[in-house]
Amino acid sequence: MDILELIQSNLLTPIVLFFLFGIIAARIKSDLKIPDAISEFLPIYLLAAIGLHGGIEMRNTGFEVMFLPMMVAIGMSLLFTLNHYQILRRLGKFNLFDSYALASTYGAVGAVTFSVGLSFIKNQGVTSEGYLAAILAVLEPVAFILAIFLTNMAVSKQIKTRKQSLGNLESMESDLEMGIKETKTNLKQVLHESITGKAIVILLGSIIIGYIIGEKGFESISIVFEDLFVGAIVIFLIEMGIIAGQRLDDIKKVGPFLIAFSIIMPTFNGVIGVLVASVLGLSLGGSVMFGLLLASASFIAAPAVLRHAIPQAKPSLYITSALGITFPFNIIVLLPIMFMVSTIIHDSATIDLFNYLSKD
Amino acid sequence: MKLYDVKLLTVTCEILAQKNVIDILSKHKITGYTSYEVEGNGARGLRGQGLKNEKNVKVEVIMQEEKLQDVVEEIARTLFTNFAIVLYVTNVGVLRTEKFV
Repeated sequence: MDILELIQSNLLTPIVLFFLFGIIAARIKSDLKIPDAISEFLPIYLLAAIGLHGGIEMRNTGFEVMFLPMMVAIGMSLLFTLNHYQILRRLGKFNLFDSYALASTYGAVGAVTFSVGLSFIKNQGVTSEGYLAAILAVLEPVAFILAIFLTNMAVSKQIKTRKQSLGNLESMESDLEMGIKETKTNLKQVLHESITGKAIVILLGSIIIGYIIGEKGFESISIVFEDLFVGAIVIFLIEMGIIAGQRLDDIKKVGPFLIAFSIIMPTFNGVIGVLVASVLGLSLGGSVMFGLLLASASFIAAPAVLRHAIPQAKPSLYITSALGITFPFNIIVLLPIMFMVSTIIHDSATIDLFNYLSKD
Repeated sequence: MKLYDVKLLTVTCEILAQKNVIDILSKHKITGYTSYEVEGNGARGLRGQGLKNEKNVKVEVIMQEEKLQDVVEEIARTLFTNFAIVLYVTNVGVLRTEKFV
């Protein structure tokens, strides 16, 4: 199957069709809406299901195997965040705050995208490593923490140089200290908020519970957490479609540079992710999911974290680009592309890579 | 029945600024407030649709006039530039002034 066929057949899956349907419903100004309680409940449900599956599989594979991929994922997420910042600041001419906010939005992971990815590879008849759920949990706060740290550093540096140019050395000390102090409290708050935030708590909790109950214990709840999974994503994507549809007009406002950025960067990050994961020895499906982790942008967690930590950044920029452009692009076009790349690598080069690695 | 004059401060803001507002209140030793989710239209467009984080809230606080100035000044200074926020003050009468220090 070539890439266009794969994209075409992906377009005709219920998940993508309902997403597009949601966009249309919003465009014709229908009052269709998923009730608030349900659209707040569904991400929690999806994360619980992802966590349970991850936990059960980790019981079979053990913890050691996930260590290297997790470290690599964290490293790449940090590296990509820095890379995004340079591109946005230098080429895109965004201000410091918007650049860091956008950079971390794109360095962070999207749990909804991850769910869609799981059902996509299931549709293609392959599985992925369970520990990717744990990587999802660990990766969530990483990019934000880096961006917030760097923003605060940059701000206190600005204060310092301004004071120096004024020659006002006495008050310089105190302002610098204030900047550093603010950085510390800010970071502490963000760390605390993201680690105790509902996404990570439910994800880690379900991983642990999945690990404890194993496949046997899961049987009794599998009707909810296995059979309903894809259906639940479909309902959630109606809501996502509606919100994306309402924001379509805003896309014009974000400008051509950011539109291009929100398509090119995920593609670049995702394909690199697939390649690296394949070298690390992840399975065909696992490599796609690893790539998706790096390609996805955060649009549920990002505003909550960034609005507090970098309030100067415009939320309309990072929410619109992540939800209105990158999310549809990821689930419709990029997933099939990454699947194709992963298939080609795993078909042809697995043995060579394995030899190469074992010689090392 | 004697009613005592106090001030009612009403802050309508995006839900993610609510924590900042309440932090400022508690900094001025005001612990009591009432808040509820609202929708509306304003300078930042239609609010209250879509994602939970983009909803608006209304925070109501009753306080004595002496504190009002400082609280309002701090909210204006720290939140007005970056957040969707509107505030106004009304005169209200209460029965038990000791509840609203």
